[in-house]
Amino acid sequence: MRHRHVGSIIILVLAVVVVATALGSVRIPLGDVLGILASRIPGLKVLVQETWSVSREVIVLQVRLPRVLLALVVGGGLSVSGVLFQGSLRNPLADPYIIGVSSGASLGAAAGLLFFIPQGLVGFGALPLFAFVGAMLATFTVSRLGQHRGRLEPTSLILAGVAVSAVLTALVSLLMVLRIQNLQDVYIWLMGSLSGRGWKHLAVATPYVVAGAILALWMAKDLNVYLLGEEAAHSLGIDVERLQRRVLVVGSLVAAACVSVSGVIGFVGLMVPHALRLIVGAEHRRLIFHSMWVGALFLLVADTLARTVLTPTEFPVGIITAIVGGPFFIYLMKRGTGYHG
Amino acid sequence: MGDKIRLEGVTYSYDQNPVLENLSMHLQPSLFYGVVGPNGAGKSTLLKLLDSFLRPQKGEIFLNGRPLSSFSVQDLAKEIAMVPQHSHYFPFTVEEMVLLGRTPFYTRLGKPSDNDLAIAQEAMRVTDIEHLAHRVVSDLSGGERQRVTLARAFAQRTGVLLLDEPTTHLDLEHQINTCRLLKAKSEEGVTCIAVLHDLNLVANFCDHVFVLDRGRLVKQGTPGDVFTPKLIEDVFHVAVPKLSHPLTGRPVITP
Repeated sequence: MRHRHVGSIIILVLAVVVVATALGSVRIPLGDVLGILASRIPGLKVLVQETWSVSREVIVLQVRLPRVLLALVVGGGLSVSGVLFQGSLRNPLADPYIIGVSSGASLGAAAGLLFFIPQGLVGFGALPLFAFVGAMLATFTVSRLGQHRGRLEPTSLILAGVAVSAVLTALVSLLMVLRIQNLQDVYIWLMGSLSGRGWKHLAVATPYVVAGAILALWMAKDLNVYLLGEEAAHSLGIDVERLQRRVLVVGSLVAAACVSVSGVIGFVGLMVPHALRLIVGAEHRRLIFHSMWVGALFLLVADTLARTVLTPTEFPVGIITAIVGGPFFIYLMKRGTGYHG
Repeated sequence: MGDKIRLEGVTYSYDQNPVLENLSMHLQPSLFYGVVGPNGAGKSTLLKLLDSFLRPQKGEIFLNGRPLSSFSVQDLAKEIAMVPQHSHYFPFTVEEMVLLGRTPFYTRLGKPSDNDLAIAQEAMRVTDIEHLAHRVVSDLSGGERQRVTLARAFAQRTGVLLLDEPTTHLDLEHQINTCRLLKAKSEEGVTCIAVLHDLNLVANFCDHVFVLDRGRLVKQGTPGDVFTPKLIEDVFHVAVPKLSHPLTGRPVITP
């Protein structure tokens, strides 16, 4: 990685964050956004004069900034998770949800929204917890079923993921038919949205995503060797089973954390790694690093569109990622994916 | 004494069907071994056991007198290199691919040293792929890829080389060049063990032949001792005349 490169990525991300924070149903001048942000950074506070209104400060700090940062975290997390699953399952169709994370989280969230939250048993803030538990239970089930003679086997794992997801998705539909109150909440959740998310959600997802990205980079060298095939990787000193287990755990935890705060946002984790593989190549250190930042920026831009295009209404960001993602996916399919055995 | 690798009563079964039964072998340094036998004889399984990718259910394999199971995967990678039958290719350059052969020798977050680069360079030179160093592997022909895989294994600088049908996708010239290279490696002290289907390549280049049939070692020795018309008929079910090469005197196997 060239350092100049890293510097320009950081500057680009900061610029997009500032612009995205300024945009919205109430437009806030860039100067105010910069001032409000700087006033919160120790050392820079002396440089700015507080000329903005309190309401603007509340919008920037309490409403927009956490959501903007969450878009970065979720976009980056889903992309890193996508790289991990595509690499470890050696399957170009693998995405962060391939082993049941999304359907498990959906069932958990639907159960929470339909049974527990309306009854006042728990607050709305517990929703991520329901989703997270659902995601982890599904992942655990799939990875148990995906073992063949005690070894994780990519094809079995993918098939188990598809089968378990089908069952869980059917259960979500069943719940929705049986309980029709709060249906809109469930729908919005299923489509994936960052609407109304605050610092609390950011605090839930960030540790998983940051730790996951660091662990992913730490496993990058092994993943490069693993691309050669299991036998070759073994002969080059990689403990194949241990690597598969680690990737599975890290990838699912990151994906589950993202899903639990944002719902099911599709295509980011599938297409960002693909696009980057075509641009920066298959080497995993480069691929993970770039996928993370491009995924973060992509979701931030998509979410900013989701809340500004039809102001004051906003729609779930999952709709935008799918509208862009679907055609892109078809393009990749037609072009070939560079993944020939 | 002096065995590089020793197998003692090795048995491996797959779902209760024995693939290899009670196999005992001794392999020395500086020799080029050929493993031959009909399809399903257990040849690839033997290589996977030697590489510790599979573990025998009975018996034990020793490397330098030490049980194979006592080596960590990473330590083993410094002792034994493998050219598998099937490899996956993806957008890495030839040089990056050959450098993967050095992975057991540097740390997780480290980079290949100048020494690693020099070793990779040398491996590319002997396999005649130096000119392809910056090409992308997935764009190369089957034969060129095969030589990249060979270079990667050479770059590991191990005392043992295992090769599963290394000549299958190669044209005649490269088949012969590959065998010459393996012969040269064995003369440098390496124990080379190759599964080969072309009996004439084995007859020409190997020092010692193991013949496997239905999971058993049915014969071993020099090509001249092993490749008799009777053995070919018994194991491969093909009748051949007794022929020998007019220049080398080695057996020639053709119907």
